Amino acid sequence: MYVYDMKKRSMQEPTFLILTALAAGPQHGYGIITDAERISGGVTRLQTGTLYMALDRLRSARLVEPDREEVADGRLRRYYRLTDQGATLLAAETDRRRASAAVAAQRLRTRLAGGTA
Amino acid sequence: VSAAGTGQATGQAGDMPARDPAGAAVLERRYRRLLRCYPPSHREFHREEMLGVLLAAARPGQRTPGLRETVNLAACGLAIRVRRIPGWLAADAGQDALAVVSLITPAVVLILLALGREAMDATAAARDPFWGWPPFPPSAGHFVVVMTAWLAVVLLGLAGARRTAAAIASISLTIAWLAVLTVISLLLGQSAFPPGGLIQFPAAGFNVVLASLAACSLALSPGPRRGLAVVGWRRACLMIAGLSAGFGFPAIVQLVHPAAPVGDLAFRLLGVLAIALAVAVTRVRGPVGWRVAGLVAAGLLPSLAVLQGVGRAALQRSNFLGTYFVWTFSGWTLLVILLVAVLVWPVAIVSRLGRVSRASRAR
Repeated sequence: MYVYDMKKRSMQEPTFLILTALAAGPQHGYGIITDAERISGGVTRLQTGTLYMALDRLRSARLVEPDREEVADGRLRRYYRLTDQGATLLAAETDRRRASAAVAAQRLRTRLAGGTA
Repeated sequence: VSAAGTGQATGQAGDMPARDPAGAAVLERRYRRLLRCYPPSHREFHREEMLGVLLAAARPGQRTPGLRETVNLAACGLAIRVRRIPGWLAADAGQDALAVVSLITPAVVLILLALGREAMDATAAARDPFWGWPPFPPSAGHFVVVMTAWLAVVLLGLAGARRTAAAIASISLTIAWLAVLTVISLLLGQSAFPPGGLIQFPAAGFNVVLASLAACSLALSPGPRRGLAVVGWRRACLMIAGLSAGFGFPAIVQLVHPAAPVGDLAFRLLGVLAIALAVAVTRVRGPVGWRVAGLVAAGLLPSLAVLQGVGRAALQRSNFLGTYFVWTFSGWTLLVILLVAVLVWPVAIVSRLGRVSRASRAR
């Protein structure tokens, strides 16, 4: 089966949002979409196709896995959870983003101190 | 990804637009149709939950999927299909299918060459100054060389000399490519392309796609002997006969009726149908299933290019590379042939690499 080596490339925004949405506990598809929108401050609303393409890839890379299924309003709802591997990858990505943000903040401070703003 | 605002009115999680049950049913039916873009295995696993999400996100009273949503679903479905091709080929069943392709396609190319040659003789006598063009018809000597090469490919493959067969097939393919490039250079300088041209010319046309499939399946699969073990002699002969009949349809008709209207749209559509039926013959029981058909169907794609010309009888000219390129049926067919014949290789190579890296991980 197709294996996706995520460590070699930077994580795309939808992937980051999906993994973050699942970090605190399992969620179903629609829950992930609304949560991802909230996490991104309303900037990114995942399309259903995008979400399930990402879930398909994340599942085959063993970063997320189905948690349980339930039927609501006659519709199947499948919950997904983060695997340990997924949590490790999300933690690494969080550190990377935090470090980048810290550098950006530092440079902006330098710019302001230099009076070039 | 949509980087959109939050303006779209959505229901709460799981809240479906129940105010209009008839509308919701229509919307659901349309979403179900859209989800056919996804591969069957993906559909089987995700369809119901995706429908749930799509309907939950729908506006109250919405009856039609939005344009962006439609494009997104179609694009993602196709992307998943494309992404699965290497894995699909790298799996054991995919390798077996490629082995069957390496068994049957060289024989089909050989038969099509012979058929094309015969049809050309018959046609040239009956009509059409096309064959009087500078590089056409290739001399009888050229044909003997090309046919001997493909006969050698078939026999060496059966004898187990897969690599040698692959090498000879690749050389023959290169010659066919040169023929195609000659056709392109002629097209660039011509005001009109003769009716039926490419379908008849045996060194170009479908043969380039089939020769490409033959050469790359020989190079990147366990080879014809494995293919024979998978399908057996009788089944292999049936496949070769079916594909030769399908792909050789215009040539066979011309053998019987030299003045047959090969350039007619109706004739070409019949040809597409004949190839589709022939491809269906390659279905194999067991895990290999439709994989052989899927691979050989690559040869069908160029012929589908004739469909773009439905309803357009007149020739159209378009400025291309600073000179006039004639967008006739043949012009489009040629472009699709080039694309398909080139794309066959990277897909097979990627699948091979995937297989090798998986094997090394397993060690």
